Amino acid sequence: MTDEMKFELLAYADGELSASARRNVEARLATDVGARALLAELQMTRQTLGSNEPAQPLPESREFYWSKIEREINRLESAGERRAPSPILQWWRRLILPAAGLAVLALTLSVNVLPGVGRGGSGVEASFPGAEALTYRDQAQGVTLVWLSYPGEDEARDYEAAPPDGDWL
Amino acid sequence: MRLPTFRIRVLSALALVFGCGLAAAVAAEELKLEATLVWGTNEAQSPDPKHKPVCAEVEKKLNTLPLRWQHYFEVKRQKFAVPDAGTQKVNMSKDCQIVVKNLGKGGVEMNVIGKGESVGRIKQRLPKGEVLVTGGNAANFTGWFIVLQQAE
Amino acid sequence: MSANRDHSAAADEALVSWAKQGDMRAFEELVARHRDKIYARAFGMMRNEDEALDLSQEAWVKGWQRLKQFQGESSFSTWMTRIVINLCLDALRRRKRQHAESIELMAEESGGVERHMPIVTVNPTEGLERADLRQRIDQALAQVSEVHRTVLVLHEFEGLEYKEIAKAMKCSIGTVMSRLFYARRRMAVLMASWKREQES
Repeated sequence: MTDEMKFELLAYADGELSASARRNVEARLATDVGARALLAELQMTRQTLGSNEPAQPLPESREFYWSKIEREINRLESAGERRAPSPILQWWRRLILPAAGLAVLALTLSVNVLPGVGRGGSGVEASFPGAEALTYRDQAQGVTLVWLSYPGEDEARDYEAAPPDGDWL
Repeated sequence: MRLPTFRIRVLSALALVFGCGLAAAVAAEELKLEATLVWGTNEAQSPDPKHKPVCAEVEKKLNTLPLRWQHYFEVKRQKFAVPDAGTQKVNMSKDCQIVVKNLGKGGVEMNVIGKGESVGRIKQRLPKGEVLVTGGNAANFTGWFIVLQQAE
Repeated sequence: MSANRDHSAAADEALVSWAKQGDMRAFEELVARHRDKIYARAFGMMRNEDEALDLSQEAWVKGWQRLKQFQGESSFSTWMTRIVINLCLDALRRRKRQHAESIELMAEESGGVERHMPIVTVNPTEGLERADLRQRIDQALAQVSEVHRTVLVLHEFEGLEYKEIAKAMKCSIGTVMSRLFYARRRMAVLMASWKREQES
């Protein structure tokens, strides 16, 4: 069973499928014993969990719990979270807003031409201990090759018969 | 001639809206990508009739690389989108998935997963026209590749 | 005015209306009625008592600040639950940035582990008292990764649809389905082990 089929069964169990998709699943269920078993398990688990959410009583007294909330609300209100801006602030805003607009535009245009990968930098990481990752770059063609090799891969491995549907991995 | 104050305000406000919209578009840019699972071999034909030779553009890119294979066959090609700062898992075959993260500014992080285990993780800037090829050895002296690029 | 009101006997709608006018005692009554549920939701996601307390209290403060936005389209309890869920999701994202994702989690998400899980056919609830069952579910939830526990809490307990979960977790619906599928299967296997313990 493919992952897509399994997820369809999940969506069927959860009532998330369209009418036509439901009919397709029901047609498959009529002949696929494995799918019926998996569906039964998904439904049973969902029902068990949904009816038995663990209780988590609050580990503090009502008064203590509330006192912290009340204190924070009062603190924020006295700090002026709800106060309207002063007339001087409003005047400054009229002046700053047009300048901010031009600044945002300039920043947007400059960001587009800056190089970089975005968040986190660039790099390669091979996941198995002792594995190697080799990088080759052809600037003119705009191609980067990352070659991943693993220890002992020349030895006999339990590959399935080539060629693949990706069985070689 | 000085513009009237009202027009200055309108133009500045428009600049703010345009800039914010553009900034939002840049900041929240979805990446549309195409991943191709490729089999490299020195055999002229693949035993699997479903396989077809890779397209000319991909073949040209692969041929520029220092690889020993003469023929490349497309096993699966998949187009998908990754939201900004989001992740997308793509099934390339029953044993191979890639998990691609959009790092923003055209950068991606690709985690290749084979038979349930992470095989390698690569971070790369991928502007339009640029191609990232990840590969390794496969059985019978063949090779596997995942070719990742921005979709047309 | 607040002193003349019988807050303990009033319905939630009346309490909300009074609280919107600044009646803090009305809001206190709402907190008393719904604090266990809000705390439970926070604990379910964070699995840490201190964090759950902090986040649930933060949710109440935000609830007070945003009361005017509550229009009664859902129940007050549901509205508050959404606030605490969002706070927990933000906290989990901050927590995730501080810790590298484990390869184990990636293997879980890729489905490599799930493929080895046999399908469970026994009913795990047979012979268990409700309190015992809930405790076991709680223990099983503690054994699942954060990401998978989150999706279970949002779907199985909170009743959110896939697209709502995707929006809340800032991921695709496909990712939600993948995570929920794995999480539910993992819970099934964990719950099946109880049956084996009982029989042995």
